Amino acid sequence: MSEMHVIEAVELTKTYEEGRIAALSGMSLAVRPGEFVGIVGPSGCGKSTLLHLVAALDRPDAGVLRVAGHDLAHEPDLSHYRAQHIGIVFQLHNLLPSLTASENVQVPMFELGWRRGDRVARARDLLGLVGLRGRETHRPTQLSGGERQRVAIARALANDPRILLADEPTGSLDSQAGDQVLDLLERVRSESGTTLVLVTHDAGVASRADRLVHMLDGREVEDGSIPRSAALAIAGRRRERVSP
Amino acid sequence: MRSLLTMVGIGIGITTVIALGAITSGLKASSQELAHIGGADFMVAQKGAADMTFSTLEEDDVAIVRGVEGIGHAWGGLLLVSRVGSNPFFFTWGMEPDALAGMGLRLTAGRLPKDGSEILLGDAAARSLGAAPGETVEIEGRRFVVVGIHDATARLEASGAYAPLPAVQEAARKPGVLTAIHVVVAEAATVETVKRSVEEASTRFAAISTADDFAQIDQGLELLDAANLAISLLAIVIGAIGVMNTMIMSVFERTREIGILRAVGWRGSRVVRLVMGESLALCLLGAVGGILLGVGATRLVTLVPAIGSVLAPAYPTDLFVRGVVIALGVALVGALYPAVRAVRLSPMEALRHE
Repeated sequence: MSEMHVIEAVELTKTYEEGRIAALSGMSLAVRPGEFVGIVGPSGCGKSTLLHLVAALDRPDAGVLRVAGHDLAHEPDLSHYRAQHIGIVFQLHNLLPSLTASENVQVPMFELGWRRGDRVARARDLLGLVGLRGRETHRPTQLSGGERQRVAIARALANDPRILLADEPTGSLDSQAGDQVLDLLERVRSESGTTLVLVTHDAGVASRADRLVHMLDGREVEDGSIPRSAALAIAGRRRERVSP
Repeated sequence: MRSLLTMVGIGIGITTVIALGAITSGLKASSQELAHIGGADFMVAQKGAADMTFSTLEEDDVAIVRGVEGIGHAWGGLLLVSRVGSNPFFFTWGMEPDALAGMGLRLTAGRLPKDGSEILLGDAAARSLGAAPGETVEIEGRRFVVVGIHDATARLEASGAYAPLPAVQEAARKPGVLTAIHVVVAEAATVETVKRSVEEASTRFAAISTADDFAQIDQGLELLDAANLAISLLAIVIGAIGVMNTMIMSVFERTREIGILRAVGWRGSRVVRLVMGESLALCLLGAVGGILLGVGATRLVTLVPAIGSVLAPAYPTDLFVRGVVIALGVALVGALYPAVRAVRLSPMEALRHE
């Protein structure tokens, strides 16, 4: 793996239902440390599958996938890899409903053996970072959609991961809450130098990325920086389409 | 609610185990007391009797026992169990009057019986019958005059009475018959050696000094032990099925949550510990409730005079250990499959679960 890249995927394939559905068909990607990469493409093009493979939630059928120095096709302890290197934010917040905001943020820390006092302090700091200081004891049902997603971001940052993966993180939020979440992700990324890979089909969201990777039918069709003005124009057209 | 009901189910199982165990232990303790009545080191009864009250020895057997080496003192007695007052299990011991004098009984009123119409009551019996020296007590149609009351430590002694042997044989319509021969060994002899010698003296003899020895003359305790074991096993099986059902439903309902835990880095082993931990908490809470209920229930039952006069439930430590071990067994067996099922879920599969 190149020392320059924190994520390197080469000719990845992934199929489901005994090969009948091809989610990835030769996908290749290289991401440098600290980059903000947007993965865009139509529904079913394999964006989320790629993200899940990078998160080690699944293994590729073929190809090479090296992330943070780990060969994920042959990594024996994917759980520890996930806990140590990956922070993931889903479209739905995926918080545990019976736990408080602080407890939800602490969940990933168990695997790395944090002591209780350190866990609580870290969770308080992270909730402060995402603008939820004082809401530590609130349960998910006592928070708004945007607040829940911010708790999910705090949880993703719990173990200070090298890579932050976000799968349609604003997909279930209104535009104002969505913007706040994106602002937060960008701020976290710029302050901590974390690599951010964000999957979206929303051009407005994608426009925030340093670099866009366009996917179609399970592989990249275009990979490179796009002019911000062009992206904003795409986003504008999309907004016009959804406006009455 | 489902967890609560499972806990209640486990609690009831443990209650049964504790209650039956406490009763069995109490009966064993009472049996052991019987073997040492009057300060005896052991007693000799008829080997193979189905119940101690059916033990039948002859008065001539006393001489055989006395002839055994190492015997310090031996005397015959007949046990008559009958209804007296409100107590359906009133124990009347017919003892040779000379033997009564050597038993070291602590009199709180009156004197020892001397002839056939006299009786010495245990303190609890005197209280429940409201009888004092000079009053009469009717046993199997025969009237006895209370001549004294003694302070007894053994429950069966305290709630029973001593009377001269011939009078009790007559009341029981068992002339010349003994239930047991009570033995005090000589100073230089050991109890176990003398017990063996006595059993060698006649194949009809069973020497009893411990609750375990009682199996030779009373199959009831063995049956209770067997029932206790069977109920314990049933409690484990039924409890484990209940716990398994609860934990499977819990794992199924929280499949997505398990997926989230795996997605943020939890190892399968930690998820197994989570499922097992919940199961253990459920079962241990059930066990604590069951133990408390079992102790309470047996104490409540002994408030009934007819039961309290013959039974003092005993709570040896191993009884509680057994209750907790059963609960732990139920927890582990019941959670094993759900835990394996939880850990076999791939994070993606679990996250897709609605």
